[in-house]
Amino acid sequence: MSNHWFWWALSMACVIWYSTITVYVAIKGASDIKQMLARLGSGRKPEAGES
Amino acid sequence: MTNFNWLLDGSIVGLYLLVTMVAGLMVRKYVGNVEDFLVAGREMDVYLGIASLAATEFGIVTCMYTAQNGYEKGFAGATPGILMALAMAGVGLTGFVIKPLRDSGVITIPELLEQRFGGRIRWAAGVVIVLGGLLNMGVFLRTGGQFLVLVAGLNVRYLEIMMTALLVGVAIYTILGGMLSVLVTDFLQFVVMSAGLILVTILILMNVGWEKLVTTVEAQYGAGGFNPFVNSTMGWQYVLFNLMLNTAAVLTWQTIIARVLAAKDTRTGRKVYTRTSFFFVCRFLIPGIWGIAALATLGPVANTLEAMPTYLSTAVPAGLMGILIAAMLAADMSTDSSYMLTWCSVIYNDILAPFRKRPWSQRKGLFWNRTIIALIGIFLLLYGLWYPLKGDLWTYLGVTGTIYLASISVLLIACCYWRRANSWGAAASIIVSALIPVTYLVMEQLPATAALAKSIGPYYSGIATYLLSGAAMVIGSVIKPQGHAEGRPA
Repeated sequence: MSNHWFWWALSMACVIWYSTITVYVAIKGASDIKQMLARLGSGRKPEAGES
Repeated sequence: MTNFNWLLDGSIVGLYLLVTMVAGLMVRKYVGNVEDFLVAGREMDVYLGIASLAATEFGIVTCMYTAQNGYEKGFAGATPGILMALAMAGVGLTGFVIKPLRDSGVITIPELLEQRFGGRIRWAAGVVIVLGGLLNMGVFLRTGGQFLVLVAGLNVRYLEIMMTALLVGVAIYTILGGMLSVLVTDFLQFVVMSAGLILVTILILMNVGWEKLVTTVEAQYGAGGFNPFVNSTMGWQYVLFNLMLNTAAVLTWQTIIARVLAAKDTRTGRKVYTRTSFFFVCRFLIPGIWGIAALATLGPVANTLEAMPTYLSTAVPAGLMGILIAAMLAADMSTDSSYMLTWCSVIYNDILAPFRKRPWSQRKGLFWNRTIIALIGIFLLLYGLWYPLKGDLWTYLGVTGTIYLASISVLLIACCYWRRANSWGAAASIIVSALIPVTYLVMEQLPATAALAKSIGPYYSGIATYLLSGAAMVIGSVIKPQGHAEGRPA
């Protein structure tokens, strides 16, 4: 581990980050879908931000 | 022999397929016009964008070539992922290219190019994008089928049938629901795919152990297994080629850019980029670890592409095997659907543009989009069946992707930031960028020139393509007489 700390740290970061982001995106993404379909269903768009 | 249990694992896979198909078909009722079909009415928000981008850019083919990289190059094989993550974070933070692109309100990149370079360049760029994209995608199905056959222990004779069934399922919901179905199924596929990837990686780390992975790489590749610059099969040319390739992909790969264009505004598109960037390290390193585990467990094998699935077929227990296969199906279906839709959008929006002098009705537009997706599916089946893959998979994808990545990235940067860029430079850049990789691929296949192609290698050929494509843009633009307006500046 001490010889190859970079790859060890990166591998652990991948597992931890990916696990966390999966749960977070699963919750927030479901909400995004609900809102997207509601907007498309009602046929109106909210004001865009930077564009 | 494999640990796949038809009752337990088959039920998990069947349930996943059922839920995905139902979800994909349910949202088709929201498709009212071509914009809904191609860019989901530009209603995509950040987290859906992250899920969709991650799911799209991770297919079975990705898992196979990144695992092959891990098997053949050790940890250093994850270098392209690190480079891509850096490029993506940089572009997301600065808004380089993607801000003017999203601000312009176009559906595809060639549509923006027309504003600076004219209609002919738009058409030519569309052709090059579709050519590079379809050649690239042509190996997805066979590779995906290879994985599933090996892991589930099916007879190899069923590979073609599995490929066809997989594609037909994906094509049905993509044809009916377009980008909306793609986004919703991508979301489900992201969750299933991520669960499978994480669980299998934890299992491998627990069973094989970190020390064994490291000592295997040390024994097989020495320092080169950890450092790409001292690896005999990589070196500075590999790193430079992959830096160019991944930066160009982040800026112009239509399936990635499609998420920026579908985002509800520019800021959302940029956030999707920055927040997904680290995923691209995981995308290479996690399957890379699977490949190294295969090396540690199986030792040297004849077909390095098949090492990882062969290893997983016995290392993953029943139950988790079902989750793994569902995860890989999820990965493959999300990639196939997005890719089919993306290349369809370019064919419809740009290549068929000259045939739409008068605007088509929404009904006719939707009909043609759906027909194009079906035709792309047929092409993929035919191409996937007969093309014999030579060399490693990542290199093939890199070379075919370069056909358009080099010129379109040069054109896009010039279009956004160089006032003197014009159609002569754009045309020269497209020709040079297509000519070099296509020549290389042909040389690789012909017995008379195969040895020469091997001595040049894909990395020098790739670097030359990017550099000469840029040079062609500069030279072409400079030699064209001034004063010829070609459309409004982007």
